[in-house]
Amino acid sequence: MNTALLLTTPVAAPLAVAAAYALTGARAPHPARTCSHGHPVVVAETPVTVPAVEPEPERRPQWCPSAWWGLVSPVAILLCGSLLAAGVLDEGPASAFSGLLRADALTAWMLLVVGAVALIACGSAPAYLADEEAAGRASGRARRHYHVLVQAFLAAMCLAVMTGNLGVLWVAIEATTIVTAFLVGHRRTRTSVEAAWKYVVICSAGIALAFLGTVLIYYAARHAGIAEAWALDWPTLAARADRLDPAVTRLGITLVVLGFGAKAGLIPLHAWLPDAHSQAPAAVSALMSGVLLSVALTAILRYRVIADAALGPDFTRTLLAGIALLTLALAAGLLLAQRDYKRMLAYSSMEHMSLIALGAAIGSPLALSAALLHIAGHGLAKSVAFCASGRILQLTGTTRIGRVRGLLAHVPSVGGVFGIAVVALAAFPPFSLFASELGIARAGLAAGTGLAWATSGSLLLALIAFAALATRTTHMLLGPGPVQPESPTEPGMWPLTLGLAACAALGIATGPLTDLLHAAAQAIGGH
Amino acid sequence: MNAIGYVAVAGQVMAVVIGAPLLTGWMRQVRARLEGRAGPGPLQPWRDVRKLLRKEPITPVGTGPAFRAAPALLVATTVVAAALVPLLSTDTPVSAHADLIVVVALIALGTLALALAGLDTGTAFGGMGASREMTVASLVEPTLLLSVFALSIPAGTTNIPAIVSSAAHAPARLASPAGLLAIAALAVAILAETGRIPVDNPSTHLELTMIHEAMVLEYAGPDLALVELGAQMRLTLLLGLLSSLFAPWGIATSASWAALAVALALLAAKVLLLGAVLAAAEVFWAKVRLFRVPELLAGSFLLALLAVTASYFLNGAA
Amino acid sequence: MSAGLYTELLDLACGTFLLTAVLVLWLRELAAIVRVFALQGVALAAIAVLLGAHEQRWDLAGVGLGVGVLRAGVLPYLMRRALAGAAADRGSEEVRETQPLVNVAASLLTAALLTLLAYAVARPLTQLNPTPATRALPVGLAVVLIGFFVLVTRRRALAQVVGFLLLDNGITATAFLATSGVPLIVELGVSFDVLLAVLVLQILTTRMREAFGTTDIDDLRELHD
Repeated sequence: MNTALLLTTPVAAPLAVAAAYALTGARAPHPARTCSHGHPVVVAETPVTVPAVEPEPERRPQWCPSAWWGLVSPVAILLCGSLLAAGVLDEGPASAFSGLLRADALTAWMLLVVGAVALIACGSAPAYLADEEAAGRASGRARRHYHVLVQAFLAAMCLAVMTGNLGVLWVAIEATTIVTAFLVGHRRTRTSVEAAWKYVVICSAGIALAFLGTVLIYYAARHAGIAEAWALDWPTLAARADRLDPAVTRLGITLVVLGFGAKAGLIPLHAWLPDAHSQAPAAVSALMSGVLLSVALTAILRYRVIADAALGPDFTRTLLAGIALLTLALAAGLLLAQRDYKRMLAYSSMEHMSLIALGAAIGSPLALSAALLHIAGHGLAKSVAFCASGRILQLTGTTRIGRVRGLLAHVPSVGGVFGIAVVALAAFPPFSLFASELGIARAGLAAGTGLAWATSGSLLLALIAFAALATRTTHMLLGPGPVQPESPTEPGMWPLTLGLAACAALGIATGPLTDLLHAAAQAIGGH
Repeated sequence: MNAIGYVAVAGQVMAVVIGAPLLTGWMRQVRARLEGRAGPGPLQPWRDVRKLLRKEPITPVGTGPAFRAAPALLVATTVVAAALVPLLSTDTPVSAHADLIVVVALIALGTLALALAGLDTGTAFGGMGASREMTVASLVEPTLLLSVFALSIPAGTTNIPAIVSSAAHAPARLASPAGLLAIAALAVAILAETGRIPVDNPSTHLELTMIHEAMVLEYAGPDLALVELGAQMRLTLLLGLLSSLFAPWGIATSASWAALAVALALLAAKVLLLGAVLAAAEVFWAKVRLFRVPELLAGSFLLALLAVTASYFLNGAA
Repeated sequence: MSAGLYTELLDLACGTFLLTAVLVLWLRELAAIVRVFALQGVALAAIAVLLGAHEQRWDLAGVGLGVGVLRAGVLPYLMRRALAGAAADRGSEEVRETQPLVNVAASLLTAALLTLLAYAVARPLTQLNPTPATRALPVGLAVVLIGFFVLVTRRRALAQVVGFLLLDNGITATAFLATSGVPLIVELGVSFDVLLAVLVLQILTTRMREAFGTTDIDDLRELHD
């Protein structure tokens, strides 16, 4: 198949879907009339292309195509990801548009993760949105905005993993911030506006630092004799990194790690993360936590290759291990004191991101493969957990852990999925996080005294985090249920079950993905 | 040559001593005219001095030597500074000693003497004025130093005559960012040091706002005359320094009578012009609130620092 | 253009660039801050145009003009509009940065320290290729640091936006001074992102006013652990 087409589709497909959503909105004469605003029982609306009829209050939820268009792009991303994976394994990296779009094994791996998480998030979104509308918290207009922005968000993330140009990489990651700002502030309450403001300001400022770092690397590259057109091209830079000026590169890499670290929820610019993740709609939290954080981390992984060749491995190793340990300590400490379950999941994301950063710091092939596997496992489990938590919020109306009791008895399906997702996040077998944490730990303990101590410390902290997570979740799940349990059929649970199954399958055997995983680890320096 | 040099030094001192009350009178006259008043004429400060000198010296009960010595010390330090600073000529017998730090220290010594005198009276106003004056001085002195440093870096010395003569030979240097920043910083510092609007109001006796006047409230007779003369001389000296540093044209760089005469005329013209500008500005400005004064001074300090960094790094010294 | 004149003009533009950043710290009226920010945009454009003229690269001069239009025209216009909305809505209290977290005198002294820090940090950058342009690199870094400082210590939403934009101006200036600008496509992407970020922040400011009745960031304290 045409490479350029394969490389363009993951970015173009979400954009096309976004355009479709935007256009249907433009064509509907009175958006307020076509939605189920004010009719609490109506869960899904008629397609907006049909002239608006007065919704009948008693109508049951029915199949509504426009709500499911969102699934087109995850499927497209997954498809292109697998085709690219096959191609990359056979023929090596592919690129198009003079290196602006480029796919290697890491790209293919990340595309698969993005696609899978997006499938979970978009699959559970219609039910979530319908319920929000039923509760009168959102209008049809807001829902359309939601769809457009989520699709644009997917496109930006795909661009970030698919570009070979470090400048475009920055542009794409900053674009994710802008697009998700309104998603975080979707509910327009005081808290969500506050979260959105903090999110945009902290992330934009942090990521501006990353741009400064990019500029400095570019400066070093130009003076290492690389032509203007290729001085931000990742493969070129990685190949000729040994000629970069060490002092300038050191400064640039520090800024890049701090800057993209802000977006990945690492210290010191992490403060936005718990606020944004707790205020965004569940599916958006799932996407942000599941893949956006790891997309930003992937950027750090790419820069690490350049830094290691220019400065030797010790510099990034110390930097990343330090940041990882500090973040882990902070996350574990705050998890212990946590009283809000969405914030609890957010801090758990910080914990897992720091484990991945630790894997990157170790840098051996085993550690890098484990870190990449951890990205996938965390993405799947965390998105399931967030989607379930969104449903819990709708059912109970609170995010306080203390006010939620007896979920398993009350709504067994949601409570069960949430419980299993937390078990997966706590890295129990058979879920893949067990395998990847084990891999990181083994690689770390084998890597020399300093890193071995760092690994032991982080394992201890992870244990604390695990204990905190387990206690809080037990409190939510167990306990007496209400007198008469509600109907057991919960809409929108299939993507969550699918995600958990995938996570477990990855933990048992990576199967056909093994080669891809190793190739991806090799692409980012795990020789 | 020596004779001309000594004449130049004597001329500088005389110009400052005699010219200071005239400058103040001139500024008051300009101000009066701008405000639509007739004004007492530029000679009025001299008449005031004469009147005060004829009075009987009185010192308040309980004041010590600090109070009595302060006026003389203020005038003496200013005279020495006037002899050192290149106002008429950069080539005088004492120009080798005219180091920047010496001059700033002399000016600071005068300020300190007055502040001690203010404390010595033991009155509420004296102490308040002294504490305010020290607050201002702690920001002004570094600014004075730094802003002249910015000019000293291209010249490669902290000797003020050398700075001035090198600037006179390369005037383009003054238009650089460093030069402009230094001018702005030095101008603000001089306004603060001499107690003018917007930092202090020389003609107020409103207790909440005054700084300089609060310290010298207890003086009378000849002592007051000396204090006022000292303050006027400092203004003249600093305006002269400003004009020498940033408009060095016409200053005598060699020993010749003609150059000296031209320099004297030009100095008078430049200082009178600066005085007129200052007086005009004071008509239109309001005094800033006391709590905003540190902001203004911190700002001028920052400008001076930027001037130093700019002249050090931008012009290739790095 | 002779080398001497070029250096003088470049230094002058850089000096103005840094001075405007300092003025932003100094001023309290948000309207005045926005005006100063526009002036900084002009200085930034001047830097780019001077570099372009010196290297005979007219595309660079064109990029400089574009950057000037964005930073001295469009962004100040957007901010003025937000300010007018705030003033119409809430009266005079919204248009002044009344009580920054760090008072103005201390901010100015901090700015002095930050400038020195920028000079220290920029030493390796200048040493790599000492030219008049790279000697001015510390100016760009100093503006980045000052922008960060404004972002952290100012409490009006709009002042924070200005802080973010100072940061961004500083980075753009660094890019121009170090390498005569990043490749065109990246520059386009960056400018577009910045524009969108400001639009997003402007809309969020409006929503903040609707939700909280003020744009004082200190009122945003409902989310914490």
